[in-house]
Amino acid sequence: MFAGRQTGTGAAIAPPDPWDPVVRLSHWLIAAAVIINGLISEPGGTLHIWIGWIAMAVLVIRLVWGGIGPREARFTAFLPDPRAAVSHLFSLLRGKPKEYPSHNPAGAIMVYALWACLAAVIATGLIMTDAKTPITIAKERAAVEQGDWSVLAGGDEGDESPEDSGEIVKEIHETAANLMLILALVHVAGVAAESYALRRNLVRPMIKGPPR
Amino acid sequence: MTKTRKPTRQGRSQTIALAIFMMLQSVAALFFVADAIRDLSNAPVNAESIIEALTAFVLVLGIFMAGWQLRLTLERMAAQGRALDIARGDFVRIIETQFDVWGLTAAEREVGMLALKGIDLAEIARLRGSAQGTVRAQMTRIYAKAGVSGRAQFAAWFVEELLGDGISPPEAGEKQQST
Repeated sequence: MFAGRQTGTGAAIAPPDPWDPVVRLSHWLIAAAVIINGLISEPGGTLHIWIGWIAMAVLVIRLVWGGIGPREARFTAFLPDPRAAVSHLFSLLRGKPKEYPSHNPAGAIMVYALWACLAAVIATGLIMTDAKTPITIAKERAAVEQGDWSVLAGGDEGDESPEDSGEIVKEIHETAANLMLILALVHVAGVAAESYALRRNLVRPMIKGPPR
Repeated sequence: MTKTRKPTRQGRSQTIALAIFMMLQSVAALFFVADAIRDLSNAPVNAESIIEALTAFVLVLGIFMAGWQLRLTLERMAAQGRALDIARGDFVRIIETQFDVWGLTAAEREVGMLALKGIDLAEIARLRGSAQGTVRAQMTRIYAKAGVSGRAQFAAWFVEELLGDGISPPEAGEKQQST
């Protein structure tokens, strides 16, 4: 135990464990939001909308953090580079991927794809709910349940073709959500493959942070 | 080991707390901002909506400042970690150079390193899976090669290296106090 630790205490070996608390928290909060809203919560329900809003806040924080956070969390550390991503995937298939201080190029593309899907889901969700906060929506529903239908009357004024555009938005919302679930599965598979190839648990630093 | 870990662990829980606080703030801010935008776009602008917009703006500003603070803290922690690694690496290098000078064998080196870490004889024997007598003999040989009388002097050799010529100032201080 001591002899083993001794080899790692030199200045030479520093395993890349780059995830700071903001990255870790936002990662797991968004993962939880995607799982709950994609698979469990009732679409259009108050909980669904609440989680959507929380996910929006978390995404905004993460994007801000990509500008002002520590080096590994910043966009400049994992700029999208499709060619590097493909060559990384090939090196992964050969079983000897390179180590990167932040996301590897393939992971970086995945991150941007997931963020784009999430942004699309949130934007379409906002359009469908007329950008009303979950608090407002809960209030309105309570009012409707008590028989006060007046809140419904104010909503759709001046919409040219609410049926068609609403249908399209709903379609985008569902497609992007499903795509995100599929991408999340690919992401998990990628992490598993990378962990296996590097012989290092990549999930642990995302939970516990740096080993120190 | 445990002594050096404590402050960084405390620093870590602080950063986690700060990050959680930032998340909560941003969720709250989002509702304020949404409310402010709705008020400003719907109703004619009045004093109340301006104050609300200002509140939202200040809250968002606060999040940015908390984020900046968090980043500085994280960078400082990383710098400290690196410095600690370098110091540790340097110290290990000093010890190993000295072991070279003394001409210790590979087994003696490992035993010597464990001894420097303050691990007792029985534990060293257990860790290395050898008999206590063997370890004791190895230690004796290490002391002989180093020209020291025992474990205290053996460790003191390296402490002296760390202190440099730090022995004289306390003496001078004592003299000043006594006179």
